[in-house]
Amino acid sequence: MDSTLIVVLVIALALFFDFTNGFHDTANAMATPIATGALRPKVAVGLAAILNLVGAFLSTEVAMTISGGIIKEGPGGVLITPELIFAGLIGAIVWNMITWLLGLPSSSSHALFGGLIGAALVGFGASAIDFSVVLSKVILPALLAPLTAGLIAYIATKLAYAITRRHDGKPDGRDRFRHGQIFSSSLVALAHGTNDAQKTMGIITLTLIAAGVQSVGSEVQPWVIVTCAVAIALGTYMGGWRIIKTLGTGLTDVKPAQGFAAETATAATILASSHVGFALSTTQVASGSVIGSGLGRRGSKVRWRTAGRIGVGWLMTLPAAGAVGALAAFVALQFGIVGIIVDTIVGVAVIGGIFLWSRRSEVTASNVVSEVADSGRAVKIKRNPKPKKKVKK
Amino acid sequence: MAFVLVLVSALVATAVVVSAYSFGIRLLTISGRTPIVTPAEFTDAITIVTPAEIKAAEKRAKKAAKKSPLSEGQKRAAFVGAWVCFAVSALAVVYGIYLIVGDHLIKLFTH
Repeated sequence: MDSTLIVVLVIALALFFDFTNGFHDTANAMATPIATGALRPKVAVGLAAILNLVGAFLSTEVAMTISGGIIKEGPGGVLITPELIFAGLIGAIVWNMITWLLGLPSSSSHALFGGLIGAALVGFGASAIDFSVVLSKVILPALLAPLTAGLIAYIATKLAYAITRRHDGKPDGRDRFRHGQIFSSSLVALAHGTNDAQKTMGIITLTLIAAGVQSVGSEVQPWVIVTCAVAIALGTYMGGWRIIKTLGTGLTDVKPAQGFAAETATAATILASSHVGFALSTTQVASGSVIGSGLGRRGSKVRWRTAGRIGVGWLMTLPAAGAVGALAAFVALQFGIVGIIVDTIVGVAVIGGIFLWSRRSEVTASNVVSEVADSGRAVKIKRNPKPKKKVKK
Repeated sequence: MAFVLVLVSALVATAVVVSAYSFGIRLLTISGRTPIVTPAEFTDAITIVTPAEIKAAEKRAKKAAKKSPLSEGQKRAAFVGAWVCFAVSALAVVYGIYLIVGDHLIKLFTH
């Protein structure tokens, strides 16, 4: 009875994590087309949801380990129990919700790694963590992803403006970049769908194997594929408007040529890194691309304060998700099934509290592209302010 | 080494796609078909283009096209060139889709 309850809770939490992953990452693909008006906000998130759904069905190559080697799992290593997966998921979800509330784009994979590391530290101690893998899979990519994408987007933006620049004052036709944006951002959404739903499929499958419900080495259950695909697509459709606002209008004022260059740089970097096997976070790549495109347009301004907040969020991801995961694991391991129930109640209360808090300054499809002040707060700007009268001397 | 490979390949791919698409726009403009794309209507976009502004832009474009020193043949060539450039960009996107789903589809059909 106890183990069945834990397995059910882990599956429910994993699906909710998948959902948060979806709405957290909608911005990666759709923030710039929404900001430039290439796609209406609702159409953009609908398109991203469909492509994530399709992507999730196209690829079911789930991970063979839960932590991707960060925790020494398997023969000669430790056995991650459903209780620890449960605690790790709580850490990841709570951090995803906090960053969503603050409108910070942050990596859901890194949040999951952080939650699991925290839980494993409580369960097995520091010896269970492979810190060299933490360095190579989390810290180095977090530094390199925005730099790489930013440099590529900077050069691409310069190219786009240089090629279409007209010195004779005739129309340059740069509005046409809006059409290109639809394709480049769709590519990012499809790539996201083929990668991210598989994490949850892996967690659920490995939990079922650990609980003895499924045999070792067997294929992913069809219901797991369907529920994970639907969860990430639903999450994507919910929009994560706060993060879309930050990425689309908070970092820089994105023009169509910049948006096209940024999304193309994001798609190319993600595809190249997946192909080479040097996985980079989609969120960090997309954020770097937007900053790079902001630097690439003459007269454009990057809001470094917002960029700094995002950077602090990335630095905090591993320790913050880890702290919550560790706390949840401590309660679960100390008090058994009672601890799991306490964790669940507290977790639901925190998530509900964050959701209610977010209602105080709601960001929706209707106000997602309003102007953002340097402070990061949305402000209303008069479109055609009256010209100031000249002061006679 | 993997990082350098990612950087170089992504840079080359992005440069090819963005350059091709930009040249396409440039050639389309030269051919006299200045693209005026109506952006989606929503409340508070950074750049709002009203119907009046679109009309004015089209008028300017027409006037500018009249002044074009290009012959009709040159304009046609520019138009074809523009679509060749767009096709190059589209092929790059198709290759990107192949990279994402190609292996999975091959596995699906061979099983």
